[in-house]
Amino acid sequence: MGTKDRYERLREQATMSERDSSPHTLLAVVSLAISLLLLAPLVWVFLRAGEIEFTRALALLTSDTTVSVTLNTLALVTGVTTASILIGVPLAILTAQTDLPFKRFWTITSALPLVVPSYIGAFAFVSAFGPRGVLADLLSPLGVEQIPTIYGLHGAILVLTLFTYPYVFLTTRASLLSFDGTVVEAARTLNHTRLEAFRRVTLPQIAPGIAAGALLVALYALSDFGTPAIMQYDVFTRMIYNEFGARRLDYASVLSMLLLVMALGILAVESRLNAGRDGAYVSSGSRRPGLIRLGYWKVPAVLFCAAIASLCLVLPVGILLQWLLRSGTGYSGGGFAFEAAYAWNSVGLAAAAAAICVVAALPIAYLSARGTSAVSSLPERATYVGYAVPGVVLGLALVYLGLRYVPFLYQSVILLVFAYVIRFLPQAVGTTESSILQVDPQYIEAARSLGYHPLSAFRKVVLPLVAPGIAAGAALVFLTTMKELPATLMLRPTGFETFVTYIWLVQGAGYYGQAAVPALVLVGLSGLSMLVILRREDTS
Amino acid sequence: MTGRNVTQSRRRFLALGGATAATALAGCSGILGSGDGGDGGSGGTDTGAGQVSLSDFRGSGPLVAQREAPGGTSIEDLPDLSGELTLYLGGGEGGLYLDLIELLEQRYPDFEAEQRLEASSDLANTIIEENEAGASPADVFMSIDAGSLGAVANAGATASLPEEALSTVPEAYQDSEGRWVGIAGRARAIPYNTNQISESDIPSTVQEFPEATALENSMGWAPSYGAFQSFITAMRLIRDDDETMAWLQAMQDHGITTYDDEFRVSNACADGELTAGFANHYYTLRVQSARESSPIGLAFTEGDAGALVNVSGLEIINGTDNADLASNFVRHVLSAEAQEFFATRTFAYPMIPGVAPVGDLPRIDDLNPPDINLTELADVAGTVDLLRDAGVL
Repeated sequence: MGTKDRYERLREQATMSERDSSPHTLLAVVSLAISLLLLAPLVWVFLRAGEIEFTRALALLTSDTTVSVTLNTLALVTGVTTASILIGVPLAILTAQTDLPFKRFWTITSALPLVVPSYIGAFAFVSAFGPRGVLADLLSPLGVEQIPTIYGLHGAILVLTLFTYPYVFLTTRASLLSFDGTVVEAARTLNHTRLEAFRRVTLPQIAPGIAAGALLVALYALSDFGTPAIMQYDVFTRMIYNEFGARRLDYASVLSMLLLVMALGILAVESRLNAGRDGAYVSSGSRRPGLIRLGYWKVPAVLFCAAIASLCLVLPVGILLQWLLRSGTGYSGGGFAFEAAYAWNSVGLAAAAAAICVVAALPIAYLSARGTSAVSSLPERATYVGYAVPGVVLGLALVYLGLRYVPFLYQSVILLVFAYVIRFLPQAVGTTESSILQVDPQYIEAARSLGYHPLSAFRKVVLPLVAPGIAAGAALVFLTTMKELPATLMLRPTGFETFVTYIWLVQGAGYYGQAAVPALVLVGLSGLSMLVILRREDTS
Repeated sequence: MTGRNVTQSRRRFLALGGATAATALAGCSGILGSGDGGDGGSGGTDTGAGQVSLSDFRGSGPLVAQREAPGGTSIEDLPDLSGELTLYLGGGEGGLYLDLIELLEQRYPDFEAEQRLEASSDLANTIIEENEAGASPADVFMSIDAGSLGAVANAGATASLPEEALSTVPEAYQDSEGRWVGIAGRARAIPYNTNQISESDIPSTVQEFPEATALENSMGWAPSYGAFQSFITAMRLIRDDDETMAWLQAMQDHGITTYDDEFRVSNACADGELTAGFANHYYTLRVQSARESSPIGLAFTEGDAGALVNVSGLEIINGTDNADLASNFVRHVLSAEAQEFFATRTFAYPMIPGVAPVGDLPRIDDLNPPDINLTELADVAGTVDLLRDAGVL
């Protein structure tokens, strides 16, 4: 039985067994309240934009710069998403369905690039492939005068793809592991070639998984600031930041509005692909298809995995080590010493954000998975909007609103964690929801027939079963919070530094050596949380 | 020796011998010392109340060797710092400025500064937002450029500075209404590779650069860098947008390479990858300090945007509960010891006459900066537009 069928069955059962709708009404109210709370700060964008005269707003919207930046952004998002699918899906198939040697190892290396902050990746690529970078140094004795520039659209696509494709890898892999392999075998017995069986049977089944990952990639590409800035490619985030720097908040807010519209567009496209409800990071692990034997393809397959791992992991770590060894910035002073407190600040913030996201995700995910009406997935969809908002815009909004409406929370950890929850909640919702979908609603029915209150039935029966999914969501939120830069910079309490604010500061001052150790520790710590995500596959 | 300093070319070659030049300069620095009646002479060995001496403020290395004690008001003669100060600290050199603040904290156990470190322009915007909403948590804003200081001042977010501090700094390097004061000078300059050209090949105005055949396809700049944008803003103020646009296009036609920051531009000059570049003066000194016999020299243009001297500066923020502490802090940053710190550790131009710039730098009075009001450098928006239209950004 395929995933789809199982859903249908679960859905019917859910409808039948939970017909008394009072818990759902309560759930809907709670979920709606949470999503409204999370979307509220975005009202700022409209408030600010509303201050402009209509004709001026129209002129701004239709100016050559705005048009070209819109096209640039579209090109970037499309490029990164396509390239992520082209890398993530083959890697997922190789590690989930073939007899690839050292499969476990390649699974980990394929997922790990997600722990490298994309701006560190971008710096590493500029250091390696920039005009006077490592590669140019290596090639110049060979008479190579000039190497193609890394800057621009292709550089931005390359770097963003290499550090976000794991979203596609993880969701696709989860779909592959959870779907029923016997169908493929059935197709093969009907004389379909392997490729045909893949196209006609496997692909439709894992498409929602691919789309779920692609959605996260596309929204990330839309919201990222550091990479396009370092790659000197004009996109919305960079423009918004420059406009803010030039104190033209009206134009910044018009651009932010356009960016939100693009995010909604991406969500709409993804909805049409009928994804989202499905498959994020989850595997049920039942009845796997037989392994595909790679045969002669083994060597190219391993080379492909190795090439990706080299670009995504070996290269940035190598560059960081090189920064570490090549000291001497020319300052005679000592500079800015790293303090252990910064690490604890980062970990504490990330843990708080993860904990809150998990709690907030539960009702939203449950409603979306078990909801009986068409609007029950609305809160879930709404959370993605926050994910698409660049940290700069969210930071600005919270600075503005915080100062005016909750001044006692301004520059407090609470407001900062709130920002993280807005941005990263959908990651927790996705994993939690797909775990819930895999729990048979009859369990709850059974518990309730034993006289349990719906809430305690949920706590005693469902929660233990979905715990691994929740843990994976928490881990994802944890590691993305550890990496977050722009909102952290703007909203943190004065005197409260974290890994990323420290790294940002010292690299900005040219102290690459001092940025290296915290960057490596950051990558290491985030790597640990990635292991939590991958571990689930063993236990499920 | 003294005469040499007065008559030297403003666009002088910065010799790299280190010791010789430093000794030559050391001979001069004492003469101008003690200008404000401070006990400059005692600084070298005095350990003070908090066991922090002048040598802690002073850097080391070939460019700093054998300096005489600085003149000006010593921190010995200032009231003790005491209390908690919230300091918004802007700029990539936050690391270095933090060292200074730490020295002050060491010297005054009752003094503590909470710092918020971000880019100067970001902090300026934050302060303006905060001020519009009521009050800023910041007591003092320490920024690496006059433009962001000017933006905060123009938004009406500053309180008055102590007269004792303003009176020690030349008028060109403070706000005409006394809303901000410079603490360290940052001169625009032309780093160049001494193996490839000599100083005389370098034009004396930026307008001539696009015609300089010796510099064809061999120059570099960092247009995303704030100091470069201030330089272009100055050009817009002195000339106009059309001429500035024409210059930007002519430079691109002439062949110029873009870098992320001016330290890289300066390093590329030392490496011979560039013949010359546009950069703040201290990057060249940083390169020299790190790589002792590198073939890099420093030239200055005259009387135009290329000779702009921007400043790092301080202002006290409107609504502070700590006005006295903030004022006293400003005076400390303009003390002989702190100015020696800026001169020898960041290679900036000190702002008080009693302290000499490091190495073989021309004195700040010998530079020929354009006659513009630094507060007007706040108009970065127009510059960013222009750079974008010119295809530079």
